[in-house]
Amino acid sequence: MTKPKKVLFLTLYVFGATGGIEKVCRVAAKALFERTLDERMKVKLMSMHDSQEQGDSNRYFPTESFFAFNKKKLSFIAQAVREGRRSDLVILSHINLLLVGWLIKKISPKTKIILFAHGIEVWIEQSRRRKMMFGCCDHICSVSHFTARVVEEFPRIGKSRSSVLNNCLDPFLPQKTRGIQKEQLRKFYGFSDTDQVMFTLTRLSSRERYKGYDKVLEAMVNLKSKYPNLMYLVAGSYDEKEKKFLDDQIARLGLTNNVKFAGFIPDETLIDHFSMADLYVMPSMKEGFGIVFIEAMFYGLPVIAGNRDGSVDALKNGDLGLLVDPLDVHAIERAIEKVLTNREAHIPNRSLLMESFGFDAYKRKFKLLLDSV
Amino acid sequence: MVGVFSENLEREICIKSMCNSMAHGGPDDEGFFYSPDDRLVLGNRRLSLVDLSKNGHMPMTFESRYYITYNGEIFNYLELKMELGKLGYNFSNHTDTEVILAAYAQWKTLAFSKLKGMFAFALWDSMEKELYLVRDPAGIKPLYYSLNSSGLSFASEIRAFTHISRKPPREPWEVYLMAYGHIPEPVTTIAGVKPLPKGCFLKYETVSERDSLQSFSHYSYNETYKEPLDIRNRVSSVIEDSVKRHLVADAPVGVFLSGGLDSGIVALLASRFEQAQLNTLSVYFKEAYYSEKKYQDLLQQKLNCKHHQFLLEEGEFNDNLPHIFKAMDMPSCDGINTWFISRHARMNGMKAVLSGLGGDELFGGYPSFSRMRIARNLQDRGANFMRFGKWGNHKVLKRMQYLQIEGIHGIYLFLRGLFSPDDIAKHLDMEERQVWEILSQSPVYPNIRRIHKKNQAGWMEFNMYMQNQLLRDADVMGMIHGVEIRVPLLYEDVIRYANSIAPSVKFQGKLPKQLLVDSFSGILPREIYDRPKMGFSFPFQEWLKSSSYVKELLVDSGPVLKKSYHDFLKNKMHWSQFMTLVILRQKGSLS
Repeated sequence: MTKPKKVLFLTLYVFGATGGIEKVCRVAAKALFERTLDERMKVKLMSMHDSQEQGDSNRYFPTESFFAFNKKKLSFIAQAVREGRRSDLVILSHINLLLVGWLIKKISPKTKIILFAHGIEVWIEQSRRRKMMFGCCDHICSVSHFTARVVEEFPRIGKSRSSVLNNCLDPFLPQKTRGIQKEQLRKFYGFSDTDQVMFTLTRLSSRERYKGYDKVLEAMVNLKSKYPNLMYLVAGSYDEKEKKFLDDQIARLGLTNNVKFAGFIPDETLIDHFSMADLYVMPSMKEGFGIVFIEAMFYGLPVIAGNRDGSVDALKNGDLGLLVDPLDVHAIERAIEKVLTNREAHIPNRSLLMESFGFDAYKRKFKLLLDSV
Repeated sequence: MVGVFSENLEREICIKSMCNSMAHGGPDDEGFFYSPDDRLVLGNRRLSLVDLSKNGHMPMTFESRYYITYNGEIFNYLELKMELGKLGYNFSNHTDTEVILAAYAQWKTLAFSKLKGMFAFALWDSMEKELYLVRDPAGIKPLYYSLNSSGLSFASEIRAFTHISRKPPREPWEVYLMAYGHIPEPVTTIAGVKPLPKGCFLKYETVSERDSLQSFSHYSYNETYKEPLDIRNRVSSVIEDSVKRHLVADAPVGVFLSGGLDSGIVALLASRFEQAQLNTLSVYFKEAYYSEKKYQDLLQQKLNCKHHQFLLEEGEFNDNLPHIFKAMDMPSCDGINTWFISRHARMNGMKAVLSGLGGDELFGGYPSFSRMRIARNLQDRGANFMRFGKWGNHKVLKRMQYLQIEGIHGIYLFLRGLFSPDDIAKHLDMEERQVWEILSQSPVYPNIRRIHKKNQAGWMEFNMYMQNQLLRDADVMGMIHGVEIRVPLLYEDVIRYANSIAPSVKFQGKLPKQLLVDSFSGILPREIYDRPKMGFSFPFQEWLKSSSYVKELLVDSGPVLKKSYHDFLKNKMHWSQFMTLVILRQKGSLS
């Protein structure tokens, strides 16, 4: 019998932040923990920025093997290198952990290193030092083909050391069954039963305006005459500058009565928001993958996304929804109209969705990937 | 409960024999669900405790889509039923079984973490063609399964699998039994048959024949609660609430009274809610040294309820020994007392009995809580020297060898192991190297060093000793008499709260389980907690010595076993060690 495989999973945040990368970390950690239940494997999870308390009572994995360093970077690096040296496999959940991986590889060349590549953090021009450090990775695993194409250009990586592991649906997402507060929520936002409601969920930031909501507003101008009941709900926290920019745009376009901002919405109400809407639209430019698309589809919403980034994977090249050029307002307009005229035809295929992005499917692909490195 | 998914439809016949092999645990009813198109059979033997009518017949169906075969009890089912009722679900009976089905219909797999209780079930979604095997987060009810190229089979007892494969391939379980005194999860006596890990579900898609094991709930330690007064109040209220819930049944319920702290608390609380009906049960011995009768009497006076005391004597012990061995689902060095008291409960008309199991693990009742620090130090500093322990003749020195095994695994065997590897090798006629290899490789446990040392001891006792020895013995020995042993101290709310108390408060004070004592000081007689610790002391040592059954079994035994018998007769071997050898001999594994 062989010794149990030791896996070290290094992260920046698992619980302390709410973005897509943290979602991936939680789900990947759960997938790894579940392998220890059935296989000869030991897993340790280290988080640089989280506090130990943030992991308490989490649903994803027991915390006996969760080490939180509470922003103590040096201590994290020292411990991670020490532990990594004794591990068979180290997973770096973010490119910013490359230095740790590089140090581990220097000390223990037989330890395999896998890097998770998400989106914008790998698309940007990398420093020379970092480019040199990519060599420590035995494998880079990207969340979409879009990101993988960038990764494959990295020195000493190429196609042979790159693969795609799409993100997946959180297994703790509640199912859409009875008891959905659809009517109340519509009333709360001032929408009627006959209104056709488009929905976007994203952070609204003046510094990273690439989510395409401004283009959707422009597309609405023409649609409004044909579909007077067309409404748009934009949810997510926003900065004042962006809100002002959008308010001005809405006033200029004469959409004041058709657009509502929900601000930050807690996770518990996500299911109600998705259930209340008729269509999810976000012709974004810079999605690594776009977990929000698969979440919207999980709740049965037709989806419109951009065709220039990782969204293409989330929509299965258009098999699950409509892909549009995010810079082409007319294309966005046409796509919205397509859904409005025949919504049923654009409801995503649930079995294809689960087969592609269910947690089970993720676990199977993740296992294959780890075992192949 | 049993079930088979297979290409081979003649399995339907074997499922009847699988099911019948467990008839003892479900004497009240029998049922099958058979779907030839889906190549699926589910079977159940029912022990009815809630809604005793035929309405509770299993496998049960809901909305003509969901089917279930289920063992156990859900203790928060009334709240869930109310919540589901508000969502528009209609119920046709009063069972908790139907609530599980409706909960699944509403929340799908997220329903599993809402169930609080002791349960193991198989749920079939006939529309999605998905079969789920589910086991409670504390691992109170067992569930075993086997996955291979011909399909999936499962059962709540290992013995059921012997009806599927005539000559099951063997696992080296004898080594585990001699080291641990039981067979630790995930090892079983049949290769390919695994226990479902607690708090997990196995999803099996019958069309693609794909499986996926997922965790839906787990227990971890944290230090959220630090204020002693609040903690004492909360400990008492959370345990009181749990005891109240555990008394829910439409059949008579009793309480096991050992004379110790945990069962005393459970009985005292239960008497508040069940004065009219409460039955208490206890075993005592003529041999005054072992007898807890004095303490049992004391509690009984305070309880003022119907008490059934049962005098266990040597003759009855020895007469029943062969039956007890037969009752064991997998070999175990313990469980004898549970066998007798469960039989006694059943003879007195009780179908469910409350036990204080879990108190020691959650609140620090074992010596391991104070020994963990030393054990860890020894393991860290001198693991290599420990191998010399072999040459010593002292029990503890011999067991020190186990500290060479890395992690909590080595600590457990050092603190709780029965035989040392050289002794195991000698008895089983193996190379010592092989024994080391088997024991150090499996099971694989996580590294738990991050948590407080006393919580490490708690983790070890909860996940190893309690899981593999106490809970298994309680389930098997209870079910063999058709008695459900309920464990209110292992209710989810109690475990979660106990695991969130800062160790500085949880383990403070002179007495073991001081926090429990302080939390219930108002109702506990002082003599119960302020007394010499008895541990598991039974007169079994003396009784086994004079057992003619044992004598006969060991006639013609080989020299190694003979010497062990001799040692035992001279009190150089503990009865639980000797019992292990007797079981191995009885199973034909020792010459």
